[in-house]
Amino acid sequence: MLTFILKRMLLLVPVSLAVSIVIFMIVHLVPGDPIDHIVQIGSSPEQRAELIARYGLDKPILVQYVTWLGNVLSGDLGTAIILRQPVSALIVQNMPHSLTLGGLALLFSTVVGISTGALAAVFRDTWIDRGVMTAILFGSTLPSFWLGLLMILLFAVQLEWFPVSGARTWGSLVLPVLTIGIGGTALVGRVTRAAMLDVVRKDFVLMLHAKGLSPWAIQMHHILRHALLPVVTILSLRIGWILGGAVTIEFVFARPGLGSLLINSLSQRDYPVVQGCLLMLAIAVMLGTLLGDVVQAIMDPRVRERIA
Amino acid sequence: MKSIFKSALLSGSALLTASFLSLGSAAAQEAVFAVTAREVGAPSYNPIKATRLNSANSLIFDRLLLQDADQSFHGVLATSWESSPDGMEWTFKLRPGVKFHNGEPFNAKTIQWWVPKFAGTENAYTVSAIDKVEVVDDLTVKFIMKNPDPNLLFNLASSFMGVPEPKSYDALGDKFGVTAAVGTGAFKMESFTVGQQTVLVRNDDYKWGSDLSKNTGPAKIKRITVREIAEDSTAFLELKTGGVDMLFTVPTDFLPRLQAEKAVKVVAIPGVELVYMPINTSVEPFTDIKVREATALAVNQKEILNTLYGGVGAPAKNFLISSLLESKVDPKYDITYSPERAKKLLDEAGWTMGADGIRVKNGAPLQVKLWTQNGTEFKRLTEVIQAQLKAIGMKADITVFDASTINAQYKKKTEHQLAVRSYSWTNADIIDWFFSGKRLGYPNVSMLNDPKAEELNDTAMNKSKTWEERVANFKAYHEYVLSQFAFAPIYEPAQIFVYNSKRLKFPEAIRGTRLTSQSILDVNVAE
Repeated sequence: MLTFILKRMLLLVPVSLAVSIVIFMIVHLVPGDPIDHIVQIGSSPEQRAELIARYGLDKPILVQYVTWLGNVLSGDLGTAIILRQPVSALIVQNMPHSLTLGGLALLFSTVVGISTGALAAVFRDTWIDRGVMTAILFGSTLPSFWLGLLMILLFAVQLEWFPVSGARTWGSLVLPVLTIGIGGTALVGRVTRAAMLDVVRKDFVLMLHAKGLSPWAIQMHHILRHALLPVVTILSLRIGWILGGAVTIEFVFARPGLGSLLINSLSQRDYPVVQGCLLMLAIAVMLGTLLGDVVQAIMDPRVRERIA
Repeated sequence: MKSIFKSALLSGSALLTASFLSLGSAAAQEAVFAVTAREVGAPSYNPIKATRLNSANSLIFDRLLLQDADQSFHGVLATSWESSPDGMEWTFKLRPGVKFHNGEPFNAKTIQWWVPKFAGTENAYTVSAIDKVEVVDDLTVKFIMKNPDPNLLFNLASSFMGVPEPKSYDALGDKFGVTAAVGTGAFKMESFTVGQQTVLVRNDDYKWGSDLSKNTGPAKIKRITVREIAEDSTAFLELKTGGVDMLFTVPTDFLPRLQAEKAVKVVAIPGVELVYMPINTSVEPFTDIKVREATALAVNQKEILNTLYGGVGAPAKNFLISSLLESKVDPKYDITYSPERAKKLLDEAGWTMGADGIRVKNGAPLQVKLWTQNGTEFKRLTEVIQAQLKAIGMKADITVFDASTINAQYKKKTEHQLAVRSYSWTNADIIDWFFSGKRLGYPNVSMLNDPKAEELNDTAMNKSKTWEERVANFKAYHEYVLSQFAFAPIYEPAQIFVYNSKRLKFPEAIRGTRLTSQSILDVNVAE
């Protein structure tokens, strides 16, 4: 297992390098530049040229990439052109907010999604199944921006249970967690249900019934356990999304986070910040995938055998 | 499983309790303000180096002087000022008894330290005409100029001209304005989280407010939290539920909803923004001045004001906000809606009306590109302009870009034809910024580049010795730009702010060009 993890981690090196090239090129090929956002009305074209030179934007793109990569390898993600702070400091400031929000939303969607998916599978083709699946379908199709505003209107404006926005109290986490969590719940619920229905048809389930185990024990201890493998894969892929995918929600609820940092910086073409954030997200996705593989190996002896 | 449910229940209870606790409105003498979309994300309160500052900046830092909506100047840290007849020396008398938040005195040496600090920053242009600063006595400084700068007072009144405390500025370096910000303002910065909030506490020593305030200090509010809320709908709901007491800026399309709220008071003050449609004078069909004039005259400013903005603001008729003296041009140069003349001009230019309502010349339809940037208000306005152009037989195809991309597209110089955009500025030199031949593409989206315009630009920018002379020179330059129909004026929005009238009592008259410290000093919190 250790060899497997080490091999997978070594694989991350060329992948990270390829990702860094893609990130850098995409960011720089998008039209626009950060200088338009910092140049002041009244400044001369010469002052603008000075600014371009100061941030090294007058150099060939390959030179800019090599310089950036060299700095990244020495642990320096650069300094934000617009925000004027070290990129690593900005990421460190925003990461805890994203982790808290995304982590709680993931927890919510995992617990509720697996429960509802299992419920729907156990009571397949009954009104419970249809009810759960309708709710799941509804949840997965609601745009999160709109759902967030509806949540605010109901729970913050009408019922006054929670604050409208901000990140000042734990209470301010409830509505954004629910808004993100509901979308994730739908995905996890559907995957759980489909996987459980797939496992139900396996021969070993028939044998368990023949052995006289109670249907409840078979569903919970055997079918659900086997069905969780694809769910784990889905969840591991969502780790990157946890950090950067809650952009609209952070916007609606006026919360800080990596997603809003990325979007604000992208709109102003603050290259070092965009590059730093995207690199962090890419690494998070890669580590999430690795984690998913490891967890799968722990849960499934067949995967362990393949690795061995 | 049991323990999961148990902890979930406990966490839920804790969250609920915490949220209920947070619902209590701000304590007496404390207020929560919010800055919205345009001001969100200002990275620091470093007035010297920042390129973006939010409204809280004026509460922390004082300037030498402030400008009122009528363009007059009023002393804050300076009590009086005068220029030598040749404009090569400016003498400023400083206010006695002023102290920074950390107890350090403010005096002539502060100014001597402060002015050179702008060198090499993006704000260097504000003091670029000053050669050196001489200390005459403890409370008198003299600026020795490289060249006369009649715009000096305007520059000194800009929001980037807040004076920081020298020792802490030098000690903190790049962290000044982020971890601490020490000024002489009516409030001290207690904490600042970029993109989230700034907490300010009253400077009890403050007694040097300008004559734009009834109360010259200390402020009546003890503590202000300035929150940053990017989404306008969320900001509105925070105001409605008591989460914030005042929003610094509100988009006009929120007015009907705000006016329906009993506790919300809507205040409109003269605007500093102008919405216009640049016309690319370098591409067909707009190389023909008749087509440009027809296009400009097709814009029905009053209809836009009434239908889109509920009559709040004013129709724009030239390139400058109406409070500027340079906007008072000879009325014959003002550009106002005149559909019949527009149609006549297009006829004269050889564009004849086709059967489908689109004009044609040499077999080619009068079809143009109309660009705009994302944002509901921009898109709605552009659609109205599109319909108004259609009324004179011009088909305009709309493309929406984000703000960075659209600037990059302008720089290609020949890709764009018409665009809907806006600027926010309170000085006539904005004409230089958007029409100078040195900045073709962007910011000179109109691509206006002719010798006469450049000559008038040079005179206005570089050869004016006094303020009066500058006004006259810019007026002449403005009139020439108008005569070239390089743009169509559209709308002059009012500045709108709203507050909870049950919580706050604002003065009847809001002075200054924006809602800043001079008005906040007079604000009371209801007990």
